[in-house]
Amino acid sequence: MSKILIVEDDEKLREELKIFLEKHGYEAIILEKFDNTIKEILNKKADLVLLDINLPYMDGEYICKEVRKISNVPIMIITSRDNELDELLSINNGADQYITKPFNIQILLAKIERLLKRSENGKVNQNKIDCGEFVLDISKGIVERENKNIELTKNELKILHFLVLNKGVIVSRNDIMDYLWDSESFVDDNTLTVNMRRLRTKLEEIGLKDVIETKRGLGYILK
Amino acid sequence: MKFRNYLKDKILYIILLIVAIATIEILLIPYIMPVYIKIYVAIAIFIAFGIAFLIEYYSKKNYYQTINSRVKELQEEYLITEVLPQANFLEGKILEEIIKDIGKSMLENVNKYKYLQEDYKEYIELWIHEIKIPIATSKMIVENNKNEVTESIDEELDKIENYTEQALFYARSNAVEKDYLIRKINLKEIVNASILKNKMQLIQNKISINTNSIDKIVYTDSKWCIFILNQIIQNSIKYSKEQNKKIDIYAEEKKEKIILKVKDNGIGINQSEISRVFEKGFTGSNGRINGKKSTGIGLYLCKKLCDKLGMGLELKSKKDVGTEVELIFPVGSYNKLK
Repeated sequence: MSKILIVEDDEKLREELKIFLEKHGYEAIILEKFDNTIKEILNKKADLVLLDINLPYMDGEYICKEVRKISNVPIMIITSRDNELDELLSINNGADQYITKPFNIQILLAKIERLLKRSENGKVNQNKIDCGEFVLDISKGIVERENKNIELTKNELKILHFLVLNKGVIVSRNDIMDYLWDSESFVDDNTLTVNMRRLRTKLEEIGLKDVIETKRGLGYILK
Repeated sequence: MKFRNYLKDKILYIILLIVAIATIEILLIPYIMPVYIKIYVAIAIFIAFGIAFLIEYYSKKNYYQTINSRVKELQEEYLITEVLPQANFLEGKILEEIIKDIGKSMLENVNKYKYLQEDYKEYIELWIHEIKIPIATSKMIVENNKNEVTESIDEELDKIENYTEQALFYARSNAVEKDYLIRKINLKEIVNASILKNKMQLIQNKISINTNSIDKIVYTDSKWCIFILNQIIQNSIKYSKEQNKKIDIYAEEKKEKIILKVKDNGIGINQSEISRVFEKGFTGSNGRINGKKSTGIGLYLCKKLCDKLGMGLELKSKKDVGTEVELIFPVGSYNKLK
């Protein structure tokens, strides 16, 4: 499990962030005092640091610069200052990513995932997910079942991945669209219907009939 | 300054002069001398004063004319205090001092307001940074406690976020100093970010989005540009029809410019109102349809920001057919070489 350190002085926000990250399978730790932030960050040995800019005692930009002198830990700046100059400054100070408050939660997750993947100490998410009846290989974009493979398109892969992540739970069409949009496939209702139908046909080809069940008026569920 | 007016102004002196000459002539009556001497005395005094008047007239005329022509030449007329000509007569010198004092106090006054405005802008920016934290926290709470109620609150939070952003850019658009940073950026990034900002509303309103040939490099401030595009997309969402809603976003490369087009099939704008859509506070007949709250700020602000960034903004629309907004990015030949 990757360890994420949250350096944010707003108490409520950091607590909510912690809950959110833990929900999504990360170990989240928080700093509560900011009088010796640089040392604390180095001591915690996190896999990734979420760093606020407006902090008591020292500002985030300075902290980022100082931490970078000693450590290569990925740093993601979280700030409410929304302009190009601040973004450039942060990157110049050695930050790896920059996200502005209030952030789109899915984008935050995607950025964290990408950063962790890039860094050596990130424990890369498994590329192969065993779903019992079949195995989903995300990096190759294929579904494997008893030596039979089937290739998926980008959207089909994402839909199936999302269903796998929410296995046993009903997901609505809007949820699926929401997820697809975050990775910049702006599919509409009709396209989603087509994608779903193709995905099902493909799964049937390797003998996976009715793994995706339609719940009328609610959405879909992967059994 | 006409000589006649000058004489009128000096009428008291002239009357007194005539009275004085008459008095001298009366006093000379008891003395026996040739008449021409008496006449000569009168003429001599008259000529002496006449020369004095003329000299004064020309020097004053010269002085005031110089001031007048300088005022006309200056772009900012109030700057005359800085280029006032030297006067060689007392009134001119007094005037000079007065004008300089007035100029100084006016400048102080103007600076006071400039400072106040800057100060207010800074406060707005600070306030907006502050308000973003509770918004972010609220959104996180919603995310951690998803249900119908919180999702409805989430929609309202998005609205709050949009309004605060509008306030921020309004303050920025009035700033005297430059507040943006032009950088090389892919149009695709800007478009995708703007679409994602409106994701929830677009999905819920079942609006299809088509993007085409937007993989192009432009030079702009991406934050400003995303804000502008965001306003345009929000308008398309707000003024959409009931069925088959869609927004097409595509770019065209023309000579020295790249045009980004956002085309919807919404309710469109009345022909008579198109020319006024960029006016501040203009809501038009669409803005007064039930449930559509138009503030008349969005497009006005977009235009203002575009002007600052050196970009073009145009709008075409047909009632009941749809609206097409064009964002025009200048591409100098210099940029192309790189």
